[in-house]
Amino acid sequence: MNKILLLSTLTSAALFAVAPVVKPAQERTFSQSQFMPDMSAIVDFSYVNHSISDADLQHLSIPGVTEGFYGSHDHGGNSESTYNANNGFNLNYVELVLSSNVDPYFSVDAVFHFSPEGVEVEEGYFTTTALENGFRIRGGKLLSEFGRINQQHHHFWDFGNAPLVNEAFFGTQGINELGMQLQWVAPTPMYLMLGAEALQGTNEAMFGNAQISDPNSPDPEDPTILGEEITAPSLFVGYVKSSFDVGSTTILPGLSLAQGSSRLDHFEDAEHANAFAGDSSVYGADLTVKHFFNSYSFLSWQSEWIMRNMDGTGYHNDAGTLQGSPLEKEQAGYYAQLVYAYDQNWRFGVRYDSIYLNDLTLDGISQTVVDPEAANPVSTSEDFDRYSVMSEYHLSEFSRIRLEYNHNTALYSEDGDRQNLDTVMLQFNLSIGAHAAHDF
Amino acid sequence: MKPLLMLLLLPLSLFAHLNIVVSYPYIGAITKAIGKDHVDTIVLAQGNWDPHFIVPRPSLISKLRSADALIMNGGQLEIGWLPPLIKRANNPKTIPSAPTFLDLSRHISFLQKPKSLDRAQGDVHPDGNPHFHLNPNNILILAQTIATFLSSIDSEHQAIYATNLKQFEQDWRAHLTQWQKNMASKKGMKVIQFHDNLAYFNQAYGLENIGTLEPLPGIPPSSRHTMEIIERIKRQKPYCIFHDVYHSTKTAQYISDKTGIPVILMPHDIGALESIDSLVALFDYLTTVQAK
Repeated sequence: MNKILLLSTLTSAALFAVAPVVKPAQERTFSQSQFMPDMSAIVDFSYVNHSISDADLQHLSIPGVTEGFYGSHDHGGNSESTYNANNGFNLNYVELVLSSNVDPYFSVDAVFHFSPEGVEVEEGYFTTTALENGFRIRGGKLLSEFGRINQQHHHFWDFGNAPLVNEAFFGTQGINELGMQLQWVAPTPMYLMLGAEALQGTNEAMFGNAQISDPNSPDPEDPTILGEEITAPSLFVGYVKSSFDVGSTTILPGLSLAQGSSRLDHFEDAEHANAFAGDSSVYGADLTVKHFFNSYSFLSWQSEWIMRNMDGTGYHNDAGTLQGSPLEKEQAGYYAQLVYAYDQNWRFGVRYDSIYLNDLTLDGISQTVVDPEAANPVSTSEDFDRYSVMSEYHLSEFSRIRLEYNHNTALYSEDGDRQNLDTVMLQFNLSIGAHAAHDF
Repeated sequence: MKPLLMLLLLPLSLFAHLNIVVSYPYIGAITKAIGKDHVDTIVLAQGNWDPHFIVPRPSLISKLRSADALIMNGGQLEIGWLPPLIKRANNPKTIPSAPTFLDLSRHISFLQKPKSLDRAQGDVHPDGNPHFHLNPNNILILAQTIATFLSSIDSEHQAIYATNLKQFEQDWRAHLTQWQKNMASKKGMKVIQFHDNLAYFNQAYGLENIGTLEPLPGIPPSSRHTMEIIERIKRQKPYCIFHDVYHSTKTAQYISDKTGIPVILMPHDIGALESIDSLVALFDYLTTVQAK
């Protein structure tokens, strides 16, 4: 063994003596470094000032719509906080993106989301490149193309946080699921794209297919299951998008539909042990209109309307007794934003968010308040609104500083008191490496 | 369903000739000159916009979707807008590995290839300066490349493409002589530019570029750099400021006022100015505007 080591050391020493410089990659016979995938990292860092303390924020919710809006509400130890959640400094993420062709038939993209909470495979999918007739198949973990903003990455958004309605309905990550996607671009002069997706259906905010066990079952080994058994994939998404230009204005409308099973298990929650088992439908309509004054200056309107219907059984666990009653939620909201790019450096934007429909039907009876047991029950006809303004300075194509202000009137304490939240954010977004250009 | 599908596909089968999608207008003009009636050229970019920042509007996806071939400038000029369109067009004929995909930059020897790459040096193109079509001598190489390409994907009309190329070359050479004459008096003179997109034009006519109003490629002018440029102009005495049509001429105008040298608007492609409706018109303009 030693002999071999000695010999190899000598040989390599001799070799290096002859060729003291390392040859360039293309001349090293077995080097594969030329096949390195495109690699980039995106860092998003912010300074945030909320008018409410972090501890209090965690107890706020949008009544009847979502619990624990500022995230860290404990869901079985899996705490997922939203972007810019904490007072002070936030490292929202370091995102590592790899992409390359696999062979003549596939490409692969992978997005690793590093945050102080851990690492997550945000996306990892293959895409076909050789299918004919306008078809494309994608499979793996992906962002659904439901609506407009769902498939866009955070660093492409015009505001530092997701629209209220998207975040309330689908959670921080949006519809980000394992699944397969089929898209078809029609051979028409006008852009027309149809897509269908079959997804695992594990979104924790409104879908889910994991069995919910009755927490009071006498035999925990063989608990009573609430609701019918569901086989994944249990979420199906379809959409149609079209686009045309009028002079220097591009108009891009879309319609989306998502249908899936909902199994939401919050029995572990200390304050509000509850669960929901049922079926959900989501309807979406979006419209983007972007007018270009020249190569660098534009005015862009982006809006989405989303409505959901959740129909099933709501369960409450009060002091060891499980109560289940038919529950139907019909909720809708929208956002509209206007962004003006003055030149390559400056952008200004305003956004209005609203969840304006919150119909709850319990036991066949339409409810006038969300939670009758709260100290100050919140009316189901209450609107939940948020106002945002931002200005952005792009030092180059790769770095951007954004100052944003939000006035959020959508959050309520557990007693049912509205807690207006004012937020100022200074956000730094920087990207390095070979990052693919973005879609429209 | 079937008759509807037939109806949709009918217009495609009616035109037996090739649908060639090209990134920039100048490529469309050369392709049309070589392909004539046998090709339909569809241009993606508008000629009056910054070629680096074409908007990847979805309407361009449908143009690529039905393309038989794609010809691009290359040299990363399209890096910011063409890849997302190709990815969404779902057309195996327009992906870079396809034999129906042509990257013109592979057939040109580049100027200003950077020795090292660092984004701290601005938005540098790794292959070198990609605005090679502004040396009119390069147009001949590009025409030959496109003729070979068309012949390879449509061998049936090979002879026609060869004839058209010969005709094109003959006409172009006559123009080259004229343009050379137009520019003869400027040989050896110095210029300053907004962005160095006329490097190849300067190469063709022996002009020397002494600087750009952008401190670094892709970085907008700063006041400190502008002051430096004014000093440089006073020292080195260039005869004019070459300016593209898509950036604001505000800084250039300021410098012009301070130094007394004129700002000359230099269109980079067909359609950059309303009067530029052909490749010949482009170089006619570029080589005569200086004399005025």
